[in-house]
Amino acid sequence: MLTRVGVPFPLANGRKSLGLAAILIAFACIRVNSISAGETKTIDFDRDVRPILSNHCFQCHGPDEARRKGKLRLDTAAGALGAGESGERAVVPGDPAASELYARITSTDPEAQMPPAKTGKPLKPEDINRIKTWIESGASYKRHWAFDPPKLVEVPKTRRVDWARNTIDSFILARLEKEGLEPSPEADRTTLLRRLSLDLIGLPPTIAEVDAFLADTSADAYEKQVDRLLASPHYGERWGRFWLDAARYADSDGFEKDKPREVWFYRDWVVSAFNRDLPYDRFVIEQLAGDLLENPTQDQIVATGYLRNSMINEEGGVDPEQFRMEAMFDRMDAIGKGILGLTIQCAQCHSHKYDPIGQDDYYRMFAFLNNCAEANVRVYTPDENRARIELLKKIRAIDEAWKADHPDWKIRMAEWEKRIAADQTAWTIVRPEVDDISTGGQKYLPLDDGSLLAQGYAPTKHTVKLTVRVDRPRVEAFRLELLLDANLPAGGPGRSIDGTCALTEFRVESAPANAPDKRIPVKFKAALADVNPIETELSPIFNDRSKRHRTTGPIALAIDGKDETAWGIDVGPGRSDRPREAIFVAEKPIENSGGTILTFYLAQNHGGWNSDDNQTNNLGRFRLSITERVDPSIVPVSPAIRSILAEPFEKRSAESNDAIFAVWSATLPERRSIHDQIEALWRSHPVGASQLTLKESDRPRVTYLLERGDFLKPKTRVEPGMPALFEPLSPAEPKNRLTLARRLVDRRSPTAARSIVNRIWQARFGTGIVSTSEDLGTQCDPPSHPELLDRLSVEFMNAGWSVKTLQKWISLSNTYRQSSRITKELRERDPANRLLARGPRYRLDAEIARDVALAASGLLNEKIGGPSVHPPAPQFLFEPPVSYGPKVWRESTGSDRYRRSLYTFRYRSVPYPALQTFDAPNGDFACARRTRSNTPLQALVTLNEPIFMECARALAKLTIDQGGADDQSRLEYAFRRTLARRPTEFESATLLLLFRRNERRFADPEAKPWDIAANDPAHPPDLPSGESPARLAAWTVVARALINLDETITLE
Amino acid sequence: MNCQTQWYRNMDPKLVARRWFLKQCGIGLGGIALGELLGAESRAAADDPLAPKPPHFPAKAKRVIFLFMAGAPSHLELFDYKPALAKFNGSSPPAELLRGYRAAFINPNSKLLGPKFKFAKHGGQGAELSELLPHLASIVDEIAIVKSMTTDAFNHAPAQILMNTGSQQFGRPSLGSWATYGLGAETKDLPGFIVFSSGKKGPSGGNSNWGSGFLPTVHQGVLFRGSGDPVLYLSNPRGVDNAVQRDVVDAVRMLNQSRLDVVGDPEISTRISAFETAFRMQASAPEAMDLSREPKHILDLYGAEPGKPSFANNCLLARRLIERGVRIVELFHEAWDQHGNLVNDLKANCRDTDKASAALVKDLKQRGLLDDTLVIWGGEFGRTPMVQGGDDGRDHHPNAFTMWLAGGGIKPGITYGESDDLGFRTARDPVHVHDLHATILHLLGFDHTRLTYRSQGRDFRLTDVSGRVVKDLLA
Repeated sequence: MLTRVGVPFPLANGRKSLGLAAILIAFACIRVNSISAGETKTIDFDRDVRPILSNHCFQCHGPDEARRKGKLRLDTAAGALGAGESGERAVVPGDPAASELYARITSTDPEAQMPPAKTGKPLKPEDINRIKTWIESGASYKRHWAFDPPKLVEVPKTRRVDWARNTIDSFILARLEKEGLEPSPEADRTTLLRRLSLDLIGLPPTIAEVDAFLADTSADAYEKQVDRLLASPHYGERWGRFWLDAARYADSDGFEKDKPREVWFYRDWVVSAFNRDLPYDRFVIEQLAGDLLENPTQDQIVATGYLRNSMINEEGGVDPEQFRMEAMFDRMDAIGKGILGLTIQCAQCHSHKYDPIGQDDYYRMFAFLNNCAEANVRVYTPDENRARIELLKKIRAIDEAWKADHPDWKIRMAEWEKRIAADQTAWTIVRPEVDDISTGGQKYLPLDDGSLLAQGYAPTKHTVKLTVRVDRPRVEAFRLELLLDANLPAGGPGRSIDGTCALTEFRVESAPANAPDKRIPVKFKAALADVNPIETELSPIFNDRSKRHRTTGPIALAIDGKDETAWGIDVGPGRSDRPREAIFVAEKPIENSGGTILTFYLAQNHGGWNSDDNQTNNLGRFRLSITERVDPSIVPVSPAIRSILAEPFEKRSAESNDAIFAVWSATLPERRSIHDQIEALWRSHPVGASQLTLKESDRPRVTYLLERGDFLKPKTRVEPGMPALFEPLSPAEPKNRLTLARRLVDRRSPTAARSIVNRIWQARFGTGIVSTSEDLGTQCDPPSHPELLDRLSVEFMNAGWSVKTLQKWISLSNTYRQSSRITKELRERDPANRLLARGPRYRLDAEIARDVALAASGLLNEKIGGPSVHPPAPQFLFEPPVSYGPKVWRESTGSDRYRRSLYTFRYRSVPYPALQTFDAPNGDFACARRTRSNTPLQALVTLNEPIFMECARALAKLTIDQGGADDQSRLEYAFRRTLARRPTEFESATLLLLFRRNERRFADPEAKPWDIAANDPAHPPDLPSGESPARLAAWTVVARALINLDETITLE
Repeated sequence: MNCQTQWYRNMDPKLVARRWFLKQCGIGLGGIALGELLGAESRAAADDPLAPKPPHFPAKAKRVIFLFMAGAPSHLELFDYKPALAKFNGSSPPAELLRGYRAAFINPNSKLLGPKFKFAKHGGQGAELSELLPHLASIVDEIAIVKSMTTDAFNHAPAQILMNTGSQQFGRPSLGSWATYGLGAETKDLPGFIVFSSGKKGPSGGNSNWGSGFLPTVHQGVLFRGSGDPVLYLSNPRGVDNAVQRDVVDAVRMLNQSRLDVVGDPEISTRISAFETAFRMQASAPEAMDLSREPKHILDLYGAEPGKPSFANNCLLARRLIERGVRIVELFHEAWDQHGNLVNDLKANCRDTDKASAALVKDLKQRGLLDDTLVIWGGEFGRTPMVQGGDDGRDHHPNAFTMWLAGGGIKPGITYGESDDLGFRTARDPVHVHDLHATILHLLGFDHTRLTYRSQGRDFRLTDVSGRVVKDLLA
């Protein structure tokens, strides 16, 4: 300390040296210690001793059996009080001298000394003293507080009785009284409303809102504001973003390709969940297992997008299973940090070093999640859904009318079915080998049913080569089935973003098995398919920049030898996600008595130019079969239809019969005009959006404990089960994800309620009651108010896990309402404001900081939800050599440019600069706590970034248009739009001076006021009469100053 | 208060704040005020995460320039000459080498492919280098070549993230951010950690290659650009000249100052100085980035051309930036992923990078900067001794590859480590990525096991739980 005060202190005039007096003064100051979160006199194991043991001892003497030394365990009473390997008892209650632990930590013998010098973590003398005192006082052990469910702690008594408004205040005041501190007076009303508004809806109050509040003299005026803001639809936006950090939300895949993904339905679901005040336990259950609820709604399925916010690596050459496992680990990490507030990811590689979470615990929990498909489903907005239902109703009505007119339809359909069933073609599935070099980097995963599933990197053009030896002496035809799979976009059968695909060419070569080099191409005499769309131009998303006329259409295009044409299965939205079948009949049967080697070439060249974007048009999952003889009556039928036909008519569901009817009726020439009507209706089917979701897989997976978390080193098989921190499953509980979800947010769950209560506290006060909000485990920072956290958690659960109720408690508390002014005493004693002797004051989160500028300027577009938007950003960021591949960033025009920052498209590898600079996380991993920096780059953003500049211009224009007649009132108007409060005299004077200087500057004939004052100087806005461009320019300068103030981006 | 603009225009805002406080509050240099100010000052210094800090022990390297050859250059064509590979060109690799081996694209049992270029011995130690690297050959006595690098990942993004952050998992702090976390910054006018990108594509790991992970975000790398605005939003907006900008910054400072007087939050002081720094950076960054200020012979040395973005320009910019106190500059050059077109692409890549890389070392040396500036050259992994495709490509290979280091306490003119006869595995003195990191931190004055940051309940470090300082590489 003395050395620090010895540093010469530069005086304002630049001369150094202060003399002895200053040193003495400064030295005197050090007696006043800052307050750490939990400091009092008597020894408390949890607070005073466990952190020491945890930090210095548990690594070798903790829960991790594999690394435990000397068979000594210090994290449990049994371990510490029993005899260790040496026979000595580590801890003898009441007797430090007899305790081996004490002997070791005080030993100077390098052989005996603990912790060993090489750990570089020596104990401080005060730590040793604490351990001594602890042993002397009986060495009582207590389980770490967070591992037992929270209890309804009694509200403490306080000396001062006129201050506490609710439970929160009593706990806060009790601690302040213990520290000899006084709470701060209440903040003034304007400050309070701005604070509340930024906190609850993430937007500053309007002038009218401030005035209304100031004019409201009723006793519950403030509470009415709390209720108003909690009911605002913007509440969900502000708090949705809060959750999206923990949910690691982003609009792209991450890793090298970092392709855009459509997941905004999940984002909007989160917003709506907060707005509806969906009980938090329900909120978690739907995100972990919404798909497993009874008759899940689209919303509940969308909610599982939470688990799918993991990154996806589709760079060439990946092993898809490796990165599926990475995603699984990420899910576990997100559940740990975001829901449990525990660092369970440590147990991925080894048992947790500090917390009682074994590696087996980890993989038991993992097993609940492991049996899943990485689904990508079509989703519709409520409007789209209505349109869809309407459309299907219309089609049904048309069909029903026709059926009524044609009562013999059933008989005729049955005849048709019979004709199809008469087809005697016997197919044999073949399981060809994939030629690695031909795949263009895509992986073809063989499945048990003989099909191949395309995974990993998706080249936009490649011709896969598949070889198989067949023993049959004769082959006359080939069948290609395109199959659905939950892991494909929209469920498949293709890999395009719509789940469709195109087969450019289907070629086969044959060679006698005994002369494999004598390959000859197979000529086809016919190609049949169950779907044959008319030939149409390829969709623009598959533009390959070749300027060729590329089309998809009927199956014949797959054997026409042309690279420009392909068989397509895209029959428009709403019904392209069907399995398909194509049959290719050889001109001459292939006959080799000793068997044949068949080589298939599936050309898939109908993707776009950019393989780093979503431009693939590849097959997703397919299966090849051969037949010796084709029945001349053959009709190609979709595999889905075939499986329905296998059931007897009476036993089929109505939907099944409708499906058959649709196929059959399409073959009837007499229905041509009806058919056209129906087709036209289908064309009006809404496109919808896609959403990544999690789905139970129909291909069950076995889970293994992985040695060091390496997916290539499975050790022992594990069954789903709760970690030891939870009560074990009862036999009545099914071992599935839904059970896990319910258990995680059960009332008996030790940390779930504490974790969310603590994070909301953190968001409201700047720091959590436990500052390490992602970790409430043994190594956490001691809570500032442990009893309050417990009490609030229980009350929160009692209130039905209602987040809005919790928000209201906090908002109404006197603790929250205090002025945030920092007195000298508080700055010295509690700089981090852990004790809350004052209100919160901190820089706003990135999104809110930016939204404040948009709101103040009047530019903000308050539309809620929908696809993410692309406000201006430097294009070069999205192009090589900054971005790995070229990315699409089509700058939004019109009002989409000014949406709330929540809606800004988030590329993980190219974060939106204005948000990243203010510490917005990029979604690579779950974030329970943002850092909050204060940097020059932030100043550059608010000064020079285009949107901030547009905000300044718009605020200036509003000021002239609506700010009143004179400059003073205009200034107040602009000031209040930005900061809510009125300017002080000094502030007015400074800003008016700024205004006048610049008015003069821009009135100069040489000046170009529109350059600063208009977004497009060629098309300047209209000015009210009597106003000059110079004055608008000067107001723009003033608006820039306002937008750049510290207070503007600060919650005060 | 109303006249600070004129009086204090060019002064440190903290001093201005102090002077204002003393004057306005009518308190002279009395004990209490002074004590408080002193406390605030030392706290501000303690709070400033970028304040210069001493390392654990005296550092050999004060600055780092990392030439990151993204995509993974072929060690077999550039540094690690393997006559045996030439001899067995076209035959299958020995089965025992392939046990447990996973390749990204090829069937591991693909045929061996002999080196495509000639090698010759250079320098006092007779280091072997490919004919593609004539410029490096001219400075080979200045560098240490490590032929026994190994890594854990064989896909680009995870391997690049590992090379830059010590972990394949995203979200860990990068080498550069550890460096500024440990050492602070020597300049306030420029970021402490600056990143450039050239080549065909951006790095596979994107921003996370220079992210700060759980370290405070002030430590993350800042992407600079060799043309246009060097830093995002550095230029004034249209219609705003420097006088107008100064006006705004002055007004903002005065208003922030008056708010500081009312609410007393030291964060406001930080914000005031951030604006001053930003304003200074608006002038200093373009100056630092202006290559036209370099004499012709220096431009020629690098092959740099002002206004034409290139790796060569970035090398020269790196030198200019470290001269101005930037702690670490990382140049990503993604061009080395030769699954095919090995011969022509390598020729082109070496044409683009060899001269400038060597020039950087020469230039640093002639300026006396090489002694305490560490230069690192290398990619995320190596390439397979086996062929990919016909006979002109190699797949990803993590088991053995080559990097070189120079300056900053590195022993010059040595070759360290060996790979086996086929360049498949390390044969002597393997250097894992963690070992490289431990060595770099050592050169910067840190015990890599003690440069830690507490996050998620445990102390994290760049080298995770491993890492060994490669003593033989130290001068």
